Amino acid sequence: MSLEAPDTPDTDAADEHTPDELAALLGDLVVDRDDHLNAPGFVIRPDTVQETLSVLKEQAGYDHLSVVTAQEYENRYESIYHLKKFDDPTQEVSVVVPADTDDPVSESAEPVFRTADWHEREAYDLMGIEYDDHPDLRRILLPETWQGHPLSMDYDKDRPQIATLPEHANPLEDHHKDAKSDTMFLNIGPHHPATHGVLHLKTTLDGEQVVDVEPDIGYLHRCEEQMAQNGTYRHQIMPYPDRWDYISAGLLNEWAYARAAEDLADIEVPEYAQVIRTMGAEMCRIAAHMLALATFALDVNGDFTATFMYAINDRERVQNLLEDLTGQRLMFNYFRLGGVVWDLPKPREEFFSKTRDFLDQLPGSIEEYHNLVTANEIFQMRTIDTGILPPDVAKDYGATGPVARGSGVDYDLRRDDPYGYYDELDWDVVTEAGCDNYSRLLVRMREVEESAKIIGQCVDLLEDWPEDERTIQANVPRTLRPDDDAEIYRAVEAAKGELGIYMRADGTDKPARFKIRSPCFSNLQTLPEMANGEYIPDVIAALGSLDIVLGEVDR
Amino acid sequence: MSSEQPFITDESSVVTETRDSRMEGQGARFNSRLREAFGSSPFILTKFDKFLNWCRGSSMFMLQFGIACCSIEMMHTYAVKHDLDRFGSGVPRASPRQADVMIVPGTIVSKFAPRMKRVYDQMPEPKFVVGMGSCTISGGPFQEGYNVIKGAEEVIPIDIHVPGCPPRPEALVYGVVKLQERVANGEAAPVTVKPYELEEFSDLERDELVETLADEIEDDELVMRYNFADSP
Amino acid sequence: MGTASVQLFPEFIAETLGLPGVIGEVVAALIAAAVVGNVVLAFTGVAGPWAKRKITAAFTDRIAVNRVGPFGLLIIPASAVQLLAKELIVPEGVDRPTWDLAPIVLPASALLGFSVIPMGRLGPINFHLADPEVGLALVFAFASIASVSLVMAGYASNNKYSMLGGLRAVAQNLAYEIPLIVTAMSVVIFAGTLRMSGIVAAQETVLFSVAGFDIPSWYAFVNPFAFVLFLTANMAEIGRNPFDIPEAPTEIVAGYQTEYSSAYFVLFYLGEFVHVFLGGAIIAVTFLGGAAGPGPESIGFLWFVVKIWGFFLFTQWARSALPRVRIDQLIEIGWKGMLVLSFANLVLTAVIVGVIA
Repeated sequence: MSLEAPDTPDTDAADEHTPDELAALLGDLVVDRDDHLNAPGFVIRPDTVQETLSVLKEQAGYDHLSVVTAQEYENRYESIYHLKKFDDPTQEVSVVVPADTDDPVSESAEPVFRTADWHEREAYDLMGIEYDDHPDLRRILLPETWQGHPLSMDYDKDRPQIATLPEHANPLEDHHKDAKSDTMFLNIGPHHPATHGVLHLKTTLDGEQVVDVEPDIGYLHRCEEQMAQNGTYRHQIMPYPDRWDYISAGLLNEWAYARAAEDLADIEVPEYAQVIRTMGAEMCRIAAHMLALATFALDVNGDFTATFMYAINDRERVQNLLEDLTGQRLMFNYFRLGGVVWDLPKPREEFFSKTRDFLDQLPGSIEEYHNLVTANEIFQMRTIDTGILPPDVAKDYGATGPVARGSGVDYDLRRDDPYGYYDELDWDVVTEAGCDNYSRLLVRMREVEESAKIIGQCVDLLEDWPEDERTIQANVPRTLRPDDDAEIYRAVEAAKGELGIYMRADGTDKPARFKIRSPCFSNLQTLPEMANGEYIPDVIAALGSLDIVLGEVDR
Repeated sequence: MSSEQPFITDESSVVTETRDSRMEGQGARFNSRLREAFGSSPFILTKFDKFLNWCRGSSMFMLQFGIACCSIEMMHTYAVKHDLDRFGSGVPRASPRQADVMIVPGTIVSKFAPRMKRVYDQMPEPKFVVGMGSCTISGGPFQEGYNVIKGAEEVIPIDIHVPGCPPRPEALVYGVVKLQERVANGEAAPVTVKPYELEEFSDLERDELVETLADEIEDDELVMRYNFADSP
Repeated sequence: MGTASVQLFPEFIAETLGLPGVIGEVVAALIAAAVVGNVVLAFTGVAGPWAKRKITAAFTDRIAVNRVGPFGLLIIPASAVQLLAKELIVPEGVDRPTWDLAPIVLPASALLGFSVIPMGRLGPINFHLADPEVGLALVFAFASIASVSLVMAGYASNNKYSMLGGLRAVAQNLAYEIPLIVTAMSVVIFAGTLRMSGIVAAQETVLFSVAGFDIPSWYAFVNPFAFVLFLTANMAEIGRNPFDIPEAPTEIVAGYQTEYSSAYFVLFYLGEFVHVFLGGAIIAVTFLGGAAGPGPESIGFLWFVVKIWGFFLFTQWARSALPRVRIDQLIEIGWKGMLVLSFANLVLTAVIVGVIA
């Protein structure tokens, strides 16, 4: 396969703009300023969304729409477009679009950023803001017959609801040219062995070929944002992140919340805790990527075959380490704001030697996977050049993580927007330029090796850490009350990509708005791009290579 | 939030009705017409029953059914270290027609409940359900969610509950083995008449909600109606 | 009938029990068929619920069934009874007689195939039901009825996944039946006969001797190329990994058998395994010298059993290790690769045999 270097950063786009320069660039479009803790915020009129975003995208190089946050104030609705640059994610800007309480209408950003499609549908679904010019404004997470918008202020959660079990119609029925040409509509899911949970793919087939596929999500919408908004910063929110991306990526998710909340409340995390966090997070990444490999093998091999079992076995090893560290196998709840809950297990030497044993056997297992999976001709035949996702499409859809890196997009928040202890350590960002299912798998497998490198360095550091400097938690007030109207968006590199949290404080000990930017949500959007025109098995493989987890897609 | 929504509802009638309707079907699962014809307990039939129960308890085909967090631990239960197959119950079948046991591994939300009911209905009798994790007991940590069904038992009857969030694989193994024991001992699982049933839209009571949706939903479309205020 | 020296199983029964005349022949044939059928079914019974799990478990570092009886062996009756005692669901809209016939046709076709397989001797009994002139052609004819069953099941189930499975089964069978038979023809050229016993007999001569060991002229040794071709085509024919696309769990749920429950599912399951064993039997007869092996001829049947179980093991190995190919790739391999290779093999064999003879 070709290993061309990824596109060199466009120097123009990477140019930093001060908030005032941006304001000058936008000119009359800006009606007010609403700066967030992470980025300058520009308030614009609801009918100039497309214009503003195009200017920012094309003239200032903000090519990554992370997320669209919708929220309701007493006197208005608000959609916030969090923009970043793929080349330098520390350059951020927020575009704030207020909308009227009685008639919340705002222009859709979908023509500028394809990824806005689902994000705006979600905003419509949960908050009730309507987006003009949106191609397909329907509910996305809740049943279409749902009454009310649950995150808006006047929602009555006790009212009865009706969910339908509809027969789906073939969306291409009208396109048949004559009586002879025919397509078949096929529901894949929500209960199907290859959907990795409860995803529903509305698939239209022409023989074995897929002509149209539409992911239908919301079968695991567990109201995570509501749950977080009901919890207090200090303790009650932390258990929930474990359950977003439940494939053992718990610590990575916890870090997303911890990072946002710590920046919001201005808490400094002790260095020792950062090292432990870094080590734990990378263990989680290994566990998560092992499951990705296992389920991908499940999709391509069929049945619970050897690759699946071996990968689960390796996961089991990491989970044992994580259990030693955190006390739980899957839902760790190990991070606290300002550090971690407890120090490494005693005796420390035993934990270190166990970890080193794991790291020592890992290259052997990885070689075995390469022999069994990636070097297998049939496997290569199945995965190379299927499920193509070109880099510009990936960017347009806001794909991040291994999906983007498998398309040659060199974007990794651990390096580009450093947090934790990553910038002190020696490791590399893995990219592959193949843009296909195979590249995405390779990226994951190579990332496992990088994670192992990081863990090894962390273990060395921890071993030599002077005993009297082992502070595991900063001094954090019992009840956190961040300043009223402080807003922040912070992201970390989770197993699937950029996991971001937007929080708005209202002076109480609970967030007024808690928005999760889920990498899987954006990644899953690319499925139709990858799948249309391919065969059914390729769609299954493409879905497997996206490595979505429905808990995070639906939240 | 939680003060508006009491943990146990004051409307005790719903709970009572549910319990009563559950009692009714007791034992209907294993008692055949043949058995009734033969009278109380003829030797040959009881022995045959025993044998059949043993067979059912010894060999179980699982439905390959993943919902949420618990399905990860469920995979581990099938896999190398915990190897549920040792107990003769580790063959995952993708088609509900060929499965005996459905492990419900996760939170049930409004959109999924009718689909889960459908899958359950597609399984042939005798079928058993293992509720895995707190979410299938009460909604677990998501109990207060606007979209979350407060326990899988609102939708389908559950034979064994395995608590935990998520339960460890050992716990699931224990749960499955307990289920096998129960089945082998012929302890009939009660058949539940569920508070949330699939109904045709036109069969619903013509209240305000139904009137509102009348234009959107076809009369013969299957729907599930949730009374969030009443559910425990 | 039959070659003079070998007494077929029905004849043996007729003689032992002293059954005279035409009626006697019919009764003896029925008894013999019942015995052979049950032996094969016993294999599948062991293979399906137990051996398959144990073998797969061994490949994946697991233990698999060990609590139900010694080594978990009692899982066999337990699974069988448990499945048979389940509710038989007849989904709405199925095409009734076809839907009911499909699960019967599959095991029946495979069992019929065994009627001409010479399974070797066990003591005085020669497990060989019939030995017609066209034995090899007949066995392929029987075996390929299976695809009809899959199409019936796929079409009659009123389920789109089944339909896809059925269609895939047809495409796959068309693509692989031809290379399979053409490759088998090369064996026929060697042996000079379609008669199964003749093919076995032709492999008895010594090919060459190494350090005192006689290597028999099994066609697997004579023409390993054809053997590999045949093995591959056979895997596709019986629909095992990497060619299990008509069933393809994780893609199309369970393919043609998605809608079948209870007894019908058992029949399908059984049929599949009988097919695997029939595939093994065909390979054993055409390429591995039938029942030949070290030791006296009277334990030949045991060697035959070892060979077909060896093939079964091979299928499970492939299942554990190999990914599944895609339907279009499979057809490409079949029509563009295997077919050409099998014809090349046929021509080569014809030339060699022609030149030597």
